[in-house]
Amino acid sequence: MSDAPGPCFDLAGHCITCGDEGVEMRVLGVDAARGLALCEDAQGKRATVEIALVDAVAGASVLVHAGTAIATLGERAA
Amino acid sequence: MRFVDEFRDAELGRALAGQILATVEPGRHYKVMEVCGGHTHSIYKYGIDDLLPANVELVHGPGCPVCVIPMGRVDDGIALATRPGVIFTCFGDMMRVPGSEGTFLDAKARGADVRMVYSPLDALRIAKENPAREVIFFAIGFETTAPSTALTLKRAKAEGVANFSCVCNHVTIVPPLRALLESPDLRLDGFIGPGHVSTVVGARPFGFIPADYGRPVVIAGFEPLDVLQAIQMILRQIADGRCEVENQYRRVVPYEGNLRALEVMAEVFELRPHFEWRGLGFISQSALRLSDAYADLDAEQRFGVPGVRIADPKACQCGEVLKGVIKPWECKVFGTACTPEHAIGTCMVSPEGACAAYYNYGRFAREREVV
Repeated sequence: MSDAPGPCFDLAGHCITCGDEGVEMRVLGVDAARGLALCEDAQGKRATVEIALVDAVAGASVLVHAGTAIATLGERAA
Repeated sequence: MRFVDEFRDAELGRALAGQILATVEPGRHYKVMEVCGGHTHSIYKYGIDDLLPANVELVHGPGCPVCVIPMGRVDDGIALATRPGVIFTCFGDMMRVPGSEGTFLDAKARGADVRMVYSPLDALRIAKENPAREVIFFAIGFETTAPSTALTLKRAKAEGVANFSCVCNHVTIVPPLRALLESPDLRLDGFIGPGHVSTVVGARPFGFIPADYGRPVVIAGFEPLDVLQAIQMILRQIADGRCEVENQYRRVVPYEGNLRALEVMAEVFELRPHFEWRGLGFISQSALRLSDAYADLDAEQRFGVPGVRIADPKACQCGEVLKGVIKPWECKVFGTACTPEHAIGTCMVSPEGACAAYYNYGRFAREREVV
């Protein structure tokens, strides 16, 4: 991970500090014992995500904010 | 990409712009505030303001957590970061926010061990990897980020990571909105409500805006069609004489919010009696601190901080920008002494800050020609 200074964008150009923008990620696998999941974003970047706040299953899409999934996507009508 | 392409359709965008034009009353001026920095960023990235009639004005709100951090809190953080043996962690944007004697990056250049993290969990990992060092996480953000900090603190406590602690600067969205509505400086006709904050808190906390102040609120997503539709829904409410909280972002935001997130926040945090917001001053019960059960993980209590209030630089008008009283380009130092590379004010630091959004998407050049 780069330690470079400067605006802290994710791959979609969002500010991760807050900016109220989360990143949609797909759950690849769940480690239920540790409450963590391996997730992948649209660009293929993978990250370990805290899933205590959602019901995450492999294949689901989740909204990830600062390393934590805060919502499961696709449950409601657009 | 799902949930993206269909919300960037140019033809639908033009149709919504047409509906907006048909909804507004000629001769009436409408001021709509987008509360959160993510919307500000989208508006200027996609040129949404260019699609609106001249009598619909978008006013930028205080919803960028980096932008509302007062200088004194940065100084407190730097005091902790420069303690011997400390590894200080924070989000990337926070590293460039100026305090009275420079930024966290300046402190790093002077030898402090300041590290950027993408998540509080990264900070906890650093603590586990460095058991002989004190690792401090400088937590900022609204209710979107607070659950992440809360879960990390729970994890640290459960795993007995004794060298981890947190400076809590988490803020809450409702009190500053009430402060803005009470402000005589600003007359707003409606609010674009924050999308992902609402994922956590739900729609209910915004009910006081129509109930007590008679203004419509539409919670919105961040794609261009989301924002345009939210504006159209606000204007429709005004035209119909209605006033309520509507949810344009139903695909993500449940009415009741994320109850598990609210529960964990209630366990780990409690409200501060008051907290200073840059540009808005002290606002009662507008920020969070660690609850008594987590006091041993509170870096402010573990190490102590100066806690001195520092006045903003005189040249900087972030306060007026954050209240929507002036546009970024109306600030005296915008684009000259204050740029994203050398920010004087916080609004120029974060990409979600109104000044940075204007600057990065070419509003600087356009507005200067108008002047």
